[in-house]
Amino acid sequence: MACPEFEDRLIEYADIEGEARACVDTHLAECAGCREFLEALRVVDTELAARFTGREVSAAFAPAVRRRVEREASARRLSFVPEVLDFVGWGAIVALLGLMAWWVLPLIPAFNTNQAALSLNSALAAGGAFLLVALVIGLRSLADLKR
Amino acid sequence: MEQEIRACLDQKEYREAFERLLPEFQNKVFRLAYAMLGEAGAAEDMAQDVFVRIWRALPGYRGQSSLSTWIYAITRNACLTALRKAGMKREVSMEEPGVARAVEERGSATGAGAGIDVLSFLNQLPEKYQRVLRLYHLEEKSYEEVARLLEWPMGTVKAYLHRARKELAEAIAQGKIERRTS
Repeated sequence: MACPEFEDRLIEYADIEGEARACVDTHLAECAGCREFLEALRVVDTELAARFTGREVSAAFAPAVRRRVEREASARRLSFVPEVLDFVGWGAIVALLGLMAWWVLPLIPAFNTNQAALSLNSALAAGGAFLLVALVIGLRSLADLKR
Repeated sequence: MEQEIRACLDQKEYREAFERLLPEFQNKVFRLAYAMLGEAGAAEDMAQDVFVRIWRALPGYRGQSSLSTWIYAITRNACLTALRKAGMKREVSMEEPGVARAVEERGSATGAGAGIDVLSFLNQLPEKYQRVLRLYHLEEKSYEEVARLLEWPMGTVKAYLHRARKELAEAIAQGKIERRTS
C-alpha cells in the first residue's frame, strides 16, 4: 500500500516536476509500498493505452451507414398525397371564385348589358387561374422531390 | 468544417451535409459509444444507429447548439437508452445484439472468476469511472475532449480519473489482479 500522504502525488507522478518530483523520488527510494503502487499505476496505464489508444471505426463502417441511410431515404420517399390535396384545395378555391363571379357580377346593373360575354370571360379567367396555380404547385412539388 | 456543414443545412442540402459530417464525426461517435458501452462491436453498431438518427434529425437541426455538441448528445442518449433496455432485458436481442452481449459480459465479470486482469477489473468499477477511463485513453489522454464528449466539468473528469486509476492500481498492488506476463 502507498503511504497516504504520497498517494495523490504518485497518481499524478507523470505530471509533477521540479521540487515536488524530487521529493517523491526521494521517498520512493526508501518506500517499497509506494514503489509497488507506482508500478501498478504504470501497469494500469500501459494496459489501458494498449487496449484503447488509436481505436477507429472499421473500413466497412461508412459504406454500411450510407446503405442504411439510402434504405431510410427510399422508405421515406416523398408522398404525392399532400401535393394532390394541395392541388385539389387550390382548384376548389379558384372554381369557387369563378362561380361567385359568374353569379354575382350579372347582378350588378352596370354589367347586365354584357352578361353573356362577362360569363364567358369569367369562366376563361377562372380556368386560366386554375391552370396557373396547377403549374406553380407542380413546380413546387418537383423542387421538393429534387431536394 | 462545421461552418461548411451548417451552410449546407441552411440551404437544405441534407445529403451533402451528411456526407461531410460522416467522416468528420464517425470516430468521435464510435469512441464515445465505446467508452459508454465498453465493447467495440456494440459501439460500432451503435455508431451506425446514431448516424441514421442524425440523418433523420438533420432537417430539424436549428443550430441552437454547436453541431458537435448536438451529435454527442444524440450519441450519449442513444447509448444510455440502449444500456437501459439491454440491462432490463438481459437477453440477446435481435435489434441490439452487441449491447446485450456487452451487458452480459459486464454482468459476468462481477462473478467469482472475475478480476484476472486490468480490463476485467475495469468492468467492475462504477460506470462513470469506466467511461472516463476508456475515453481518456481513446482520446489520446485529452482531458478537454473527455469533458466535451461526456459534457462533464473538467474538474469532475479529473477527479473521476484520479479515483479510477487509484482503485485499479490498489487492486493490482494488493494482488487482486494477476499481471499479464505475455
